[in-house]
Amino acid sequence: MKNILLYCILIIIILLPSCSDILEEKPQSLAVNTFYNTAGEVESAIGAIYTPLRSNFNSTYPSLLECSSDMFFTGRGSWVNPAEFQGFDSKNQTREQGMWGNFYSSIRNANLIIQNVPNSDVLSEEEKNMYIGEAQFLRALCYFHLIRNWGAVPLRTEENFDEFNVARTSVEDVYKFIISDLQSAETKLPDEPFAEGHPSKWVAKTVLSDVYFYTGDYDLATAKAGEVIDSNKYSLVEVQTSEDFGKIFGATVTNTTEEIFYLEYCVESSWGYLHYLLGTDQTYAGFSGYYVCFSNSDYIVYKNWDNDDLRKVYNWYEFSGGDPGTLCNKKFTDPGSFYPSNDYPFYRYTDLLLIYAEASCRNAGSPTTEGMEALNMVHRRAYGYPATQISPVDFKISEYSKESFIELCIKERGYETVAEAKRWFDLRRLGKEKAAEIIKATRGVDIADKAYLWPIPIMETEYNEAITDNNPGY
Amino acid sequence: MEKNRIIHGLSLCSFKILRIMKLTIFLMLISFIGVFASETYSQTTKLSLKVEKMSLEEFLIEIENQSEFRFFYAGKIDVNKKVSGEYKNEEITEILDDIKVKAGIKYEVMGRQIVLSPIDKDKVIKSLQQQKSISGRVKDVSGEPLPGVAVVINGTTKGTITDMDGNYTIPNVSGETVLVFSFVGMKKQKIVVGNQSNINIILEPDAIALDEVVAIGYGTVKKSDLTGAVTSVGSEEIAAFPTTNIVQALQGRSSGVVVKQNSGSPGDAISVRIRGTNSIQGGNEPLYVIDGFPSSSSKPTVLDNSNIESIEVLKDASSVAIYGSRGANGVVLITTKKGKAGKPTVSYDASVGFQSLRKKLDMMNATEYASFYNLQRVNDGLSPYFSDEEINTLGEGFDWQDFVFSTSPIQSHAITVCGGNDKTKFSIMGNMFNQDGIIEGSGYGRYSITANIDQKLSDKITVNYSSTLAKTKLDNKNWGGERFGASLISAALCAPPSLTAYNDDGSCRVLRTAYPFVSEGLTNPVNYINEISDVRKSNEILANINFIYKPIKDLTVKIHGGIENSDDRNDYYKTVKYVDSQGYASIGSYQSTSYLNENTINYEKSIGKHDFSVLGGFTYQNFKTTSIGGSGSGFLSDNTKTGNLSSASIPGIPSSGYTKSVILSGLGRLNYVYDNRYLVTVNMRADGSSKYSKGSKWGYFPSGAIAWKIKEENFMQDVEEISNLKLRASYGVTGSQAISAYATLNNLYSGKTVFGDALNTTFAPGSRLPGDLKWETTTQYDVGVDLGIMNNRYNFSIDYYHKRTDDLLNTVSLPLSSGFSSTIKNIGVIQNQGLELSFDGNLLQGDFSWDMDGNISFNKSKVKELYGGKDIYGGWQDMLVIADNLTLLREGEPMSVFYGYLKNGYDDEGFEAYKDLNTDGVIDENDKTIIGDPNADFVYALNSHMSFKCFELSLFFQGSQGNDIANIGAVGNNITYGYGTNQLEEVYTDHWTPENTNAKYPKITREQKMQFSDRQIEDGSYLRLRDIQFAYNLPLSVLNSSCFEKIKIYFSAQNYLTITKYSGWDPEVNSLGGSSSIAQGIDHYSYPTAKTLTFGINVTFK
Repeated sequence: MKNILLYCILIIIILLPSCSDILEEKPQSLAVNTFYNTAGEVESAIGAIYTPLRSNFNSTYPSLLECSSDMFFTGRGSWVNPAEFQGFDSKNQTREQGMWGNFYSSIRNANLIIQNVPNSDVLSEEEKNMYIGEAQFLRALCYFHLIRNWGAVPLRTEENFDEFNVARTSVEDVYKFIISDLQSAETKLPDEPFAEGHPSKWVAKTVLSDVYFYTGDYDLATAKAGEVIDSNKYSLVEVQTSEDFGKIFGATVTNTTEEIFYLEYCVESSWGYLHYLLGTDQTYAGFSGYYVCFSNSDYIVYKNWDNDDLRKVYNWYEFSGGDPGTLCNKKFTDPGSFYPSNDYPFYRYTDLLLIYAEASCRNAGSPTTEGMEALNMVHRRAYGYPATQISPVDFKISEYSKESFIELCIKERGYETVAEAKRWFDLRRLGKEKAAEIIKATRGVDIADKAYLWPIPIMETEYNEAITDNNPGY
Repeated sequence: MEKNRIIHGLSLCSFKILRIMKLTIFLMLISFIGVFASETYSQTTKLSLKVEKMSLEEFLIEIENQSEFRFFYAGKIDVNKKVSGEYKNEEITEILDDIKVKAGIKYEVMGRQIVLSPIDKDKVIKSLQQQKSISGRVKDVSGEPLPGVAVVINGTTKGTITDMDGNYTIPNVSGETVLVFSFVGMKKQKIVVGNQSNINIILEPDAIALDEVVAIGYGTVKKSDLTGAVTSVGSEEIAAFPTTNIVQALQGRSSGVVVKQNSGSPGDAISVRIRGTNSIQGGNEPLYVIDGFPSSSSKPTVLDNSNIESIEVLKDASSVAIYGSRGANGVVLITTKKGKAGKPTVSYDASVGFQSLRKKLDMMNATEYASFYNLQRVNDGLSPYFSDEEINTLGEGFDWQDFVFSTSPIQSHAITVCGGNDKTKFSIMGNMFNQDGIIEGSGYGRYSITANIDQKLSDKITVNYSSTLAKTKLDNKNWGGERFGASLISAALCAPPSLTAYNDDGSCRVLRTAYPFVSEGLTNPVNYINEISDVRKSNEILANINFIYKPIKDLTVKIHGGIENSDDRNDYYKTVKYVDSQGYASIGSYQSTSYLNENTINYEKSIGKHDFSVLGGFTYQNFKTTSIGGSGSGFLSDNTKTGNLSSASIPGIPSSGYTKSVILSGLGRLNYVYDNRYLVTVNMRADGSSKYSKGSKWGYFPSGAIAWKIKEENFMQDVEEISNLKLRASYGVTGSQAISAYATLNNLYSGKTVFGDALNTTFAPGSRLPGDLKWETTTQYDVGVDLGIMNNRYNFSIDYYHKRTDDLLNTVSLPLSSGFSSTIKNIGVIQNQGLELSFDGNLLQGDFSWDMDGNISFNKSKVKELYGGKDIYGGWQDMLVIADNLTLLREGEPMSVFYGYLKNGYDDEGFEAYKDLNTDGVIDENDKTIIGDPNADFVYALNSHMSFKCFELSLFFQGSQGNDIANIGAVGNNITYGYGTNQLEEVYTDHWTPENTNAKYPKITREQKMQFSDRQIEDGSYLRLRDIQFAYNLPLSVLNSSCFEKIKIYFSAQNYLTITKYSGWDPEVNSLGGSSSIAQGIDHYSYPTAKTLTFGINVTFK
């Protein structure tokens, strides 16, 4: 019997595979600690900074910002709330929470690059600089959006991004950080991007000028914008008819001379923002839109808009499915297609020209010739004239004071960037008083004090123990 | 005489019938009825009568008047013969003995029937008295031959015992002889021999057979020797009515087990909770062990109801601890039908049913719809949309519920062949199950073949093999959820009744643009029904082989190898006709394979009063899943469907996946019984899992149980009423593999981003921060009492348990600014405690027999500890107007209670108002409170089975009490008026107006601002007649008896009666149900449960 038992036990032991490594996991995937070495690895990790950013700009983020502009009349359904300027309801608080998360996701992925790339023993210094510069640029871009929407935010860098509890850093210090990141990026980034869709040093300079402009450093803003203009890297796309604007915003356009920095979308990974702008008819895309923010033909901004401005015709169309006079925006269309591949124009040359125009005026205390020319370039093109030649629609410098020129710039920016999710930031930049005045005049409502900043999301205040206060009103 | 005829028509009738009846048939009837005959009537009935020169006929009628006796003739009897006599309180036999000589008759009492025959005149009677040899075969109800059955001539000790194949022979018996068949655990049966020479008997199980053997992990045990809380569910209950999944058949059959159908969609998932919910992170489904194979699936889809011999539900820690790290949620042991020695039996079971929507919701008709939205527009300062003339022409309009739901068939066929000899036993089963859903195009079908072979190679070695091959097909139309008609099921309620499904030219109507005020999401159901196909086909295999070696008498060595494999393929196609589609096709293919090797040694020994058995072993099981997927959109034609992905104008990104995990275990068990009075069980299992961090991979799960059979004590021997009394107590630790493979590793996930109109691959960490993790463990104790009275005719069981899960694996939210949204930590404690009562009894015996059983289970859960004491939100639902987490885990509260606002009537404008709980003057997050509890106070079931002769009537009631349902889907149909959705009719009749401020519904305006509140919480209690079945067992006299052994036809109805206050389609709803879901009791446009009428037949061939 003893033998039999032994025999059985022997069989069992033979049947069992050796135990030492059997419980070790061997996934068919890549591990964090061994990555970020080669150019291919780092470039794919840089791509991961764009992914959350792209999903933010894919639909609700631009819609939410655009609902709070004076260019659109109102929102529909749950989008009524952001259009009322009274602070966010719970639905829109949930929306902004996702956006907050996406920006910080991009920041995390940028931090991983900044943290790990210096340790690579494969990459050259030049390559390392280029990649780190891009990560710094994108990190700064994310913080620039965060700070304009939420005010003081936790500053997560490559040093502290894996800590759970990080307090809010003052607006001033976040801007300092943004500027230092962009300054670093403008030195590290190459003159020409290493591949399409990536930033060059000129892109970093453009964003830097925007940051200076936004924070009121008009001399630096003018200088930076001037640097980019003088580089002659960019020029405006010429148009003759309103349809010609399709050469800038159309789905088939991949690259134009006025493109500074775009977030790209393609048919396999399409741009959902169109759903939010278009009506449920299928004239301007193969699908039915939601028309979450729309205008109306008797809306004051629309009425005051010169009918000869090709942008007015290009942008708006009457949607018959809504209440009488409903206007939807068709700046971005992809007729017939179910998967719009239009790109989000983060920075176009017109942005830069208008920054230059206004900043130079504010800096000099009166309109400058160069500034007026920059403004006129944008204006001429809008009426179908060559951008760089004198045209009948030119504004004359002699007719404008500092104040009226700034007004003109603000108006021109509004027409030029409609539906690009930039107007609310412009209103905020002008200060509460001016923003309230514009919204009162166009929308007929007073902006509640709490509406100037979005609330820090619950998932942050609840789980970040270092955050004890929220924005006013929340 | 004339008078008597009228009054005693019945008995005269029996005379008449008898006259034209052949004796052979009569005797067959007798033997048939004899099964049910009550022996005692003739002995207990005392008669008093006085007759003088009365004719025999009148005399017999007089006896019939006084009693329930009925007389029958066998042969020619002179009924006019005169008889006299005086009897006081005498038995019928005494009276008949007295007159039989004068009347020239013989008699035979068979229960209440008495057969009279002439003395010495009839050859037939002679033959009855002839001495002859009787042989036959004894089987149990499942057709298995019964060896060792005592066959005794009534009133004597003469008799025999059936052999291995259930055969017996008794020489020298006469036709008058009554044979008594008895076997432990079976109902005794008496049969009159008559002129038969071959008598085959089927013995039915006794109400409760304590010697019944039940399966426990890695072995079996006599029911009377159980130390833990184990419920056994038999094959008849499992196969009572057709269900898609055998797990559905468990509902109500065992105390402590809550089976929730997530929806009524054929083939949809089912949530099973044994003794509450233990885990937040991990699955809460029990472990299913099929013929010894611990299945990797959270629902055993491979088997058909008719394959099941029995299901054992292991509930307490000592019974489940042998499954260690997988036992925390309870274990369900499934045993398939095995072959039996003896002549092969073939049986065929078939049923056909018709399902329909259980109830329709009362929605507005077209006229009301138009008036309603006119009113909304007027209230919101717009002009009415519909003109009066239009409204007048609308009438009732289109009924979308009728359009979407229809009556649909369900059918099931099973052929079972069993047989074998003392060396080889086999069973082969073929099954077909096909269910069409009540939504056209939805359905579930399964073809399966199951085989079990058991071969004795020698006295010491046995090999057995079991396998099931199943091919399943799921046609999915289970698109619920969403809002304002953006899903199939939502659209069935939201679509305007003023619009039809098709345009006049036959094309599909586009609903979203039909009126300016309808939601852009509103989609015509035709799109889902006709233009999307979503088919999942699966090939499943479960195969086991066991080598059983018994080197010496008490030692068993068992080597078990098993394979579980599932190859699934999902084909999804959306046609170009679907609204906003240019065609989309995707194919997903998944393979999951699990290999098992278990090696156990069992030693059993009895020494004097000591019985013990020791089990030891080790096991290895791995789980591997691979997947591959492809897709494409933009098709020229719908002809290609998923057949040619490369023809897509936009090819999708191919995907693939791989995971593998391993469990390595050692296990041991000691059972010790002293003097059949004191029982002790000790279990130990050590599990090593690849999923956990280094150093925490191994978990140890000990348990123990004691039981005391009080009935076996000397002092109980005189208490005859009590036939069984046992006290049980157990304590143990089990675990849960709450995490998926690789959860502790710091891995990168791939993604895509666009540069220059082309996709580029990206790599980044996921949103969950990995960390070191160890097992979560559940400690449970259980005390129980089993009581049997009147020879176990009535049995009661009561169990109290207390479970505590520690080191609860828990998703801990991280500040979003960290770039991660969550991590998993071993933090948290949940407690469940409860009481389970079950009862079964044989209320009536005899011709009319009535069995009843029932159970009731109370469970109270409590969240004891959470990470940082912080609440965990869950059950996110987005109805646009309300977008919130519906459920919450909070320390001190039951599991996942509903969390929201309390409604507080209406404000002056007719808008919904909420209670300002903290009285700070604003309604905000701080005014939220717990507004409902999805956990039932108790669930219960009652099963009644009545039989009378050939007829059977079964009723199966099942219910749940005190659970709340969050009817979130209703938001779109009773409170949101801004999206053109159809509303409940009562919204039209009872809404806020300045004159009716106390209305059920608020003002009709699109401007409402609302929150998730107790308005959406409803009482989900229900009592349901889950099944009522009426069956008729065909008497074999009407059949060609050489062919059939048994034919039963039945008619049954499921879910035809439901008592509930719940306003939705059905209270059995669990939209967010899933194996790891803790968000229970939410109704968000779920595929409604159907009611079914079923006709069926069970045939056993000879």
